Amino acid sequence: MRYGLLVEGAPYSSQASHSALRFAAALIAKGHRLESVFFYHDGVYNAARLVAPPQDEPHLYDAWCSLNAEHGTRLQVCIAAALRRGLLDAREADRHGKAGHSVESPFELTGLGQLIDLGRAVDRLVTFAP
Amino acid sequence: MRSHLPVTGDLLVILRQVPHGSSWLREGLDAALVAAAFGQSVTLLFQSDGVLALARGQQSGPLGQKGTAATLDMLEMYDIESLHFDLEALERFGLTQQDLLLPAAGVDASSIPQLIAGHRLVLTF
Amino acid sequence: MILHILNRPPSSSLAYRDALVAMGSEDRLLLIEDGVLGAMTAQVRHFQAIDGRLFALREDLNARGLLGQCDASVQVVDVDGFVTLTEEADKTVSWF
Repeated sequence: MRYGLLVEGAPYSSQASHSALRFAAALIAKGHRLESVFFYHDGVYNAARLVAPPQDEPHLYDAWCSLNAEHGTRLQVCIAAALRRGLLDAREADRHGKAGHSVESPFELTGLGQLIDLGRAVDRLVTFAP
Repeated sequence: MRSHLPVTGDLLVILRQVPHGSSWLREGLDAALVAAAFGQSVTLLFQSDGVLALARGQQSGPLGQKGTAATLDMLEMYDIESLHFDLEALERFGLTQQDLLLPAAGVDASSIPQLIAGHRLVLTF
Repeated sequence: MILHILNRPPSSSLAYRDALVAMGSEDRLLLIEDGVLGAMTAQVRHFQAIDGRLFALREDLNARGLLGQCDASVQVVDVDGFVTLTEEADKTVSWF
């Protein structure tokens, strides 16, 4: 089956990211395909490239990147929710006159329409909220 | 106005939070508007505290924080006309249909499973 | 069958009521994260109406030291079982 996940919790603040990553690993291990993870609400903070968790804690950012590298899962971030929370890729940083950027590939800033498309394209969309 | 079930469609957005206190309501309405703009048939259900999104007289908040009342005005423009609210929740707050700023259909708790079953995708906010 | 997923405990959040009201007669409810508190013998009465259709995630019970308190009426599943529940459902709805 084709799956999509909607993640709405910030990393290290709620269990949503951990739950989603655990579920992602399990569904892939069962032979399903994870098309995309869409980040909305405070879930957009998962895309912050500067996160620096203590070494003895799971590195959630790296775990998302591994999903993309190993399984081709897209990491899509709602641009409207992201910009409000200070999450800008290089292009948006430039557009808004900011010196640095906080989002980079494999995370992509996209419109909410991508969530609607995802919901249409996959067999199951599972939400992990804070 | 009572709802005439079954109501079916592509997307059901369930709104359960109060305006101003969090961004859930705004973000849920945004998802509904975008889905409608993408040609999906969208139904809204205002459940539990979410019925207060429909209350008349909402204002902007501290520092000019925009509420969601203005967004509700846009629903019709996006052809989102299937609006439902939780009758019991409205009663819980001592409100009646006359206190609502939009025409919406009241649904009994027992009708909510049908609403959910009738839509391909359900998002809760 | 629709799989409803609840991550809030009935002891401090009324989200479970919204979830229960939304459930059809064949639907299932999976308790995850803090929602697993509802699976405890002392709490499970809140879910009487869906007896036999209540599930709880083993890893989240275990992490909280609550596996031993989980009521016998609750079907405990691991994360693979969570995936299976989503396979068997037409769709999922999350309550939080």
